[in-house]
Amino acid sequence: MKDFKYFKPSSLEEASRLLLQYGEAASILNGGTDLIVRMHEGLSHPEAVIDIKGIGGLNEITFDKETGLTIGACVTMKEMEKHPMLLEKYRVLAEACHSVGSCQVRNRATMVGNITNASPLADTATPLLALDAFVQVYASEEGIREISIHDFFVYVRKTCLKAGDIVTGVRIPNYDENVFGHYQKHARRDAVDLSTVCASVVKVGGKIRIALGSVAPTPVRLWQTEAFLEGKSLNPEVIEAAAKIAVGEVNPITDIRATKEYRQEIVGVLVKRGLEEIAK
Amino acid sequence: MKYEINFTINKEMISLAVIPNKTLLEMIREDLDLTGAKEGCGAGECGACTVLVDGKPVNACLMLAVEADGKEIITVEGLATETELDELQQAFIDHAALQCGYCTPGMIMSGKALLMENPTPTVEEVVDAISGNLCRCTGYKKIVEAIMHVSENNANK
Repeated sequence: MKDFKYFKPSSLEEASRLLLQYGEAASILNGGTDLIVRMHEGLSHPEAVIDIKGIGGLNEITFDKETGLTIGACVTMKEMEKHPMLLEKYRVLAEACHSVGSCQVRNRATMVGNITNASPLADTATPLLALDAFVQVYASEEGIREISIHDFFVYVRKTCLKAGDIVTGVRIPNYDENVFGHYQKHARRDAVDLSTVCASVVKVGGKIRIALGSVAPTPVRLWQTEAFLEGKSLNPEVIEAAAKIAVGEVNPITDIRATKEYRQEIVGVLVKRGLEEIAK
Repeated sequence: MKYEINFTINKEMISLAVIPNKTLLEMIREDLDLTGAKEGCGAGECGACTVLVDGKPVNACLMLAVEADGKEIITVEGLATETELDELQQAFIDHAALQCGYCTPGMIMSGKALLMENPTPTVEEVVDAISGNLCRCTGYKKIVEAIMHVSENNANK
């Protein structure tokens, strides 16, 4: 690991100022489970590492009926996966958190780190896309603004964030009923692996929502498949047809984990299983 | 540049000046001579470097030494007393839950963390808790048995 300057600012203002000062040469350190691996392997060598864990108010999970569920940037995935509110109302998100890495990794890794890395296979991105979440972002001039999760991912490892921006948390709207349906991860082995394909297939607000990871340059919502399902009852023929539309709606690539064709096959299987679960 | 940090490790208070590009694992092994935690993969996949930070298991290879400021750390060396092994260490011996021993400190720390949070875990909970610890010798069966032995003992207390 190359030498760098380590900063642990106690306010968003100070952190943002450091980010602007060092520009491209700065990296935010949160859980560190991606950044430190990249630094260790020589893929990333920031001049300045800005640890945001000293900033107050970023490690809370709060809920109220008006705004919904807000998860601070420094909340770990381990804290999320066992949080009673998530388990009851937003279970799909707790399941996605639990699927990431190991206990040791989840005790450090955060959902905000997971989505800001913007990997196409980010496990926690699919429930957030399915639930129409908002990313809360601090910038020194304008304070905190909200960005729809649908605008957040731009390309492989690229988000719409600008220099000096700091994600402070993620907000998921309140739905009157509990989110129904599950997170599914298809990987080469059961534990501590990256997703070959991952899927959140849920029903909430009277609507079926489907989001997939590792099937396009960013995690995606399957709007066409959802539109097809609108107003239909989930019988075996409808589910079969929806799975076919889903396969046509994604654009996976071949990489070390799987071929394009295999991923397309798995998309059909996961969408079908997800819908069957909801139809039960 | 060096950074002054203060933390406790195995209940001992330590003040140290560390360079930023040093991992917690390197500090523990090289500066503090506690060589129980090992580097296997350096990427958070094998768990051989598992230590407890504020009671929670983490990969010491994925944490910077400077981040230890203000933390309470426990390594495998902190489990036994002067004269007596921790019951989980004893269970590993009694169940022959190790062969080469490289994964053992990490495995024991993951098991210990689980038992501290939940004294009577089920087999499924044990398997989940050690899923981030690789062992190439034992096939895991005896490791699970050793942790379950402590779990069952706790249930009968």
